[in-house]
Amino acid sequence: MANRLLEVSDLEVAYGDVRALWGVSIHVEAGSVVAIVGANGAGKTTLLRAISGLLPVRRGTIALGGASLAGPAPEAIARMGIAHVPEGRGLFRQMTVLENLELGAFQPKARANMRQALDKAYALFPRLKERAGQKAGSLSGGEQQMLAIARATMSDPKLLILDEPSIGLSPLVVQQMFSLIETLHRQGVTILLVEQNIHQALKIADYAFVLKTGEIAMQGTGAELIADPEIQKAYMGVLEL
Amino acid sequence: MFDFPPPQIFLQLSLNGALGGAMYGVAAVGLSLIFGTMRLIFLAQGAMIILAAYFVRALFQSFGIDPFLSLVIVVPVGLAAGWLIYQGLFRKAAVEEDRNISLLIAVGLMFLAENLMTVIWGGNTAGVVTSYTASGIHILGIRTSFTRTMGFLIALAGTGLVMLFLRKTLVGKAVRAASEDITAASLMGISPHRVNAIAFAVGIALAGAAGVAVATTFPFNPFAGFIFSLKALVALALGGIGSVAGALAGGIILGLIEAYVQFFVGGSWTNAVAYGVFLAVLMFKPEGLFGRPYKKA
Repeated sequence: MANRLLEVSDLEVAYGDVRALWGVSIHVEAGSVVAIVGANGAGKTTLLRAISGLLPVRRGTIALGGASLAGPAPEAIARMGIAHVPEGRGLFRQMTVLENLELGAFQPKARANMRQALDKAYALFPRLKERAGQKAGSLSGGEQQMLAIARATMSDPKLLILDEPSIGLSPLVVQQMFSLIETLHRQGVTILLVEQNIHQALKIADYAFVLKTGEIAMQGTGAELIADPEIQKAYMGVLEL
Repeated sequence: MFDFPPPQIFLQLSLNGALGGAMYGVAAVGLSLIFGTMRLIFLAQGAMIILAAYFVRALFQSFGIDPFLSLVIVVPVGLAAGWLIYQGLFRKAAVEEDRNISLLIAVGLMFLAENLMTVIWGGNTAGVVTSYTASGIHILGIRTSFTRTMGFLIALAGTGLVMLFLRKTLVGKAVRAASEDITAASLMGISPHRVNAIAFAVGIALAGAAGVAVATTFPFNPFAGFIFSLKALVALALGGIGSVAGALAGGIILGLIEAYVQFFVGGSWTNAVAYGVFLAVLMFKPEGLFGRPYKKA
C-alpha cells in the first residue's frame, strides 16, 4: 500500500439495464504504469469512462488521492488532476495543433504554466512543433495520437489515462508510442493504460489487471502475467500470429 | 421589348441587398454561436433583436441617448441578459440533454417577448427618427442612407469582434472546441455550462447590436422578429453551420437575392424565392456554400 493514487473498489457500471462492470476493484500506485488488458467488450473502456466521469457509477467507489470521483462532472474530475485520452483521441480536428495543446492547459492551475508546459511538450514531441499551425485533422494517425497524448500532459496531470493508444497505428509507430509511454513514466507521470496489444502493454506495465466480461479475472505484475500460461493461451497466441 | 437596365441599377441593387442582408447575417452569427455549443436553433433571436430595437427607442425617447451611442449600453446589457437567459431558462434542459425542451423554451421565450412588447409599447409599427435619419450618401451615381451604412458597419464590426474572440482568446477557443466535440472539451476541464452561457451572452449581445441597426433603419413592430429568425436561419444554411464569417456572408447573399428578385421579378416573390433557396441548399448542399460538414452531437 505504498502510495495509492487511484483506488477503485467494487465498481458497478451499467448501460440502462445492461450491466457492464460487476464489482471491479483496481488500484494505481503513484509513479507507476498500470495496464488493463482483455478482449473486446470486456469493459475496459467502460472502466476508464467511469473513472473520468463520462459514465455514472451505479455502485462502488472511485477515489483519487482520497477524493471521490463518483459524482463530479467530467470537467470537475479533469480539474482534480485526471487527463483522459479517450478512444478515438478526441482531438479538435478543425483547430490547429497549437490550439489543441493550449486547450490541454485550459484549467486555471495549468493556464499559468502554459509556456513551460508547451516547451516541455515540444521537447518530447518535436514533430508537433513543426506542425504547430496545421489543423489537427490533417496530421497522420501516429501524429494525431502523439498530439492527443501531448495535449493530455499539458495540464501536468496526477494520472494520465490512455485508451488504446496503439489502435490503428503501423507497427513501427506502435513501437514509438510505447517507448514514449516509457519516457513519460521515467519523467514520473502515473499512467493507466488500456490496450489490446497485450504483449507490449504487459512489457511496460508495473502492474496489470485482466478484465473478462466485466470482472477482474487476474492481476499481477506485468512480468508475472506475461509468463502466465493461461494468459499466453487466451490472449497472446491470437495476437502473436 | 425588354430594356436592359442601366449598370448603376446593378450597383444600387447590390448595395441595397448587401446592406439589408448584413442584418440577417448578424442575426445568423448569433444563431450559429448558440447552435454551435447547444445544438439548439434559438428561434427567439429575432424577437431579441426587436426587443433591443424597442430598448434603443426607449433610451432615445426618454433620455435623448443617440441610438448609435446607445451601443455602449445595449451590448453590455445583452451580454448580461444572454448569460441570465441561459442560466435561468436553458441550463436545466441542457443538463437533461433534451433538445426538444430547449426548442420549446426558445419558442415560448419568443411568444413571451412578443406579447410583452405589445403590452408595453403597443402593436403598431414603430421607428426611431433622428436628425440624420433622412441624410444620404452619394457615390458614383448610387445612393444609400447614412443609417443603413452604419448598420452595415455595425454588423461587420460585431462579426469581426466575435471572430477575434473565438480565434484569439483561450475562452473563445474553448467555445470552438466545445462546438466541435463537447465530450472531449469536458475532458480538458471545460464546463459545458460555462461555454453555453458564453455563447448565449455573445449571441444576445449581437442581437443588441443588431437592434441598434434595425431601430435606426427599418420600421418595426413586436411581431417582426419571427420573420427575422427565419431569414437568419436561411442565412445560416447558406453560409454553413459552424462558420461565423459564413453566417454573415450567407446573410449578405440572402439580401442580394432578395434585392434582385424584388426588382426583376416582383416584391411578392422575394419570400418564396428566399425559402426556395433555403430548401435547395438543405437538399443539395447541406453543409452550406462555405461550410464544412460538422460532427453531429
